[in-house]
Amino acid sequence: MTRSWSRTSRVIAGTATALAVLTACGGSGDDTANSTANKPNGPVTITFWGWAKGSKDVVDAFNASHTDIQVKFEEIPSGTAGGYAKISNAVKAGNAPDLVSIEYSSLPEFVSSGALQDIGGQFTEADRAKLLPQTVELTTLGGKSWAVPFDAAPQAFFYRKDLFAKYKVQVPTTWDAFKQAAEQVKKADAKARIATFFPDDPTTFEAMAWQAGAQWFKAENDTWKIDTTDAATTKVAGYWQGLLDAGLVHKNASFSPEWTGSLKNGTTIGYLGASWGAGVLKGTLPEQDGKWGVAPMPTWDGKPASGMLGGTSFAVTKDSKQQAAAVTFAEWMSTTEAGVKARIASGTSSAFPAATALRPVAKKAFDASYYGGQDIYALFEAAGASISPNWAWGPTTGTTNTTIKDHFGKITQGGPGIADAVKAGHDATVAELTKRGLKVEG
Amino acid sequence: MKARTRAATILLTPFFLLFTAVMVVPIGYAVWLSLFTEKQSGLGFGGTETVFTGLDNYTAALGDRAFREGFGVLLGYCLLYIPLLLAGALGLALLLDSALARARRFFQLALFLPHAVPGIIAALIWVYLYTPQLSPVVQAMEAGGIGFDFFSPEGALPSVVNIALWEWLGYNMVIFYAALQAIDRSVLEAATVDGAGAWRIAFSVKVPLVKASLAMVALFTIIGSLQLFTEPLILNKGTGSAVTSTWTPNMYAYTAAFDRNDYGLAAAASVLLALTAALLSFAVTRMTGRRKAGTARTPAPARKPAPARKERTA
Repeated sequence: MTRSWSRTSRVIAGTATALAVLTACGGSGDDTANSTANKPNGPVTITFWGWAKGSKDVVDAFNASHTDIQVKFEEIPSGTAGGYAKISNAVKAGNAPDLVSIEYSSLPEFVSSGALQDIGGQFTEADRAKLLPQTVELTTLGGKSWAVPFDAAPQAFFYRKDLFAKYKVQVPTTWDAFKQAAEQVKKADAKARIATFFPDDPTTFEAMAWQAGAQWFKAENDTWKIDTTDAATTKVAGYWQGLLDAGLVHKNASFSPEWTGSLKNGTTIGYLGASWGAGVLKGTLPEQDGKWGVAPMPTWDGKPASGMLGGTSFAVTKDSKQQAAAVTFAEWMSTTEAGVKARIASGTSSAFPAATALRPVAKKAFDASYYGGQDIYALFEAAGASISPNWAWGPTTGTTNTTIKDHFGKITQGGPGIADAVKAGHDATVAELTKRGLKVEG
Repeated sequence: MKARTRAATILLTPFFLLFTAVMVVPIGYAVWLSLFTEKQSGLGFGGTETVFTGLDNYTAALGDRAFREGFGVLLGYCLLYIPLLLAGALGLALLLDSALARARRFFQLALFLPHAVPGIIAALIWVYLYTPQLSPVVQAMEAGGIGFDFFSPEGALPSVVNIALWEWLGYNMVIFYAALQAIDRSVLEAATVDGAGAWRIAFSVKVPLVKASLAMVALFTIIGSLQLFTEPLILNKGTGSAVTSTWTPNMYAYTAAFDRNDYGLAAAASVLLALTAALLSFAVTRMTGRRKAGTARTPAPARKPAPARKERTA
């Protein structure tokens, strides 16, 4: 009896799965069929890979409030620290999770390698209208929608209020003033520096170039135009080379024990980061509670300007049969009050939501006492609005950034410099695009 | 005879099955992969198409300066590492061989211990010891007036060699020590009777008698060096050091596959590296084999562990 029962149930389960698979394959436009086929089977389970702060809390909150979809969260190393390699391998091997976190800079690369699916059918125009246009722009490639933007990451300058006051240094608003401030800091304490140059992280440098108005990757008439020798990039490279040559900034790997150590002992008194950095500092240096302040990124002409440093989006992998559920969950994380609240309230995240309407929610949920109660979200709001909309990422970010990183590591006094690294990145990018059979100029 | 053939077949089958599954098939698959390239069209957002490109990936790898420089790094690594390793391990083994019985066991264990630490952990520990501001070693060196940046372009190679030495010195010392222990004591006694001092015995009697172990260790170390990967990768990730992502040919293949999504190029680079290793192994085995055939009375296959052979002749 039990035997025949189990066999029957197995047949039913098998048929149901086959049906679900078939309807899911039927295309994203066919939503109604999809949901009716899925629902009777009980909750749909999807797998989600990510590393952003507070992800676990968001998933728990989602699972607690939803019965039709359950999410299994697996934490992976951050993208460039091995997360992206893990994702692409899983996609190649055919066992990728349904939903993955991808930063804007790497999204085109995943799209061009065919690792993701177009989610335009689920993630509609109306959904996109809720989000900061710059982020929608970065996730729309070749006229298709590839990911649900989660946060915008406008740049910000974090500084030690107490030490700035002690050394009598004004918080700089322009890059010229920043250099002077750097000199004052060094003069006040020979071991202290105002900030750090991250040789392991080209994206910080790229955000600076972005802020200055550079446009490294331009797509025109099916041709990639690569331009890293523009006036803005040259200016930024020269400026940072000057700071390095004069020993006005530290040169340490980002988030390395060395960097953290220097923040702890007060020999690094500033951090040129982005909105999410507020949560990172708070989590890394709990003992410096109340000592940090946030300022807008210094600019070249004193007018507000910002690049974007990082910023996460959620994309559905190529072979996922659960696009509907995955996009529902992604949208819940990005565009609902409960989703944003769950992440920020975890206390570790200071993400600046791409969803414009939810910023008050994020602001309320973030405990800003670490920053002396400063309204840091108002600051991010202004910075977010000033993000230059011209920048786009190319499909070879992996090559570009790895090459620049390799050459940043070789920077020595009197030896190769930042400009050489950018040049090497440029050449490698052009070579890579050519190898893939794409048209390139530059 | 028939039974013997059957026994041989039965005993060898597991080996050949595994050999096929874990060696022949993956190598074949790598060669297959290396003949294809993923091509895109337009701006590249329309997905990829896998195209047969013949030997293009091989010319691309060989034409890439970064790949060729990787072999240069390996050469420099071998030139610096192997003499230090052989001299260090042999020196320690000779010391142990002439030390007191009790101290012997302690030092043998103490020197072997680092080898028990996995390479990745060793590299992480050393990265910490190399980091200025954190490392007591660097601070002590600076206090002593020796400023050395382990992450600088000049410091990269010595940094990696140092980690490798720390890991492998004790292991190879044990091999040499075993070979030294296997030397017929009557030979040493005869030398003493003839009036040879400790130094003379060490260099004129002991060292020539463990030559085969020296050759074997050198061979395995050269082949092993071609696989150099873990330690430089740790130095590359998260330190901002001058160790690039394509520092060794193995790292080049890794980066091509996982940072650049170019599996064809990665496969081609791996095949080229494997070919180099095969050629090198062949050349070194031939060389050591011939030399032994000329000098020793019993030409033994070079792959056989030297200590065992010594015991038999003794």
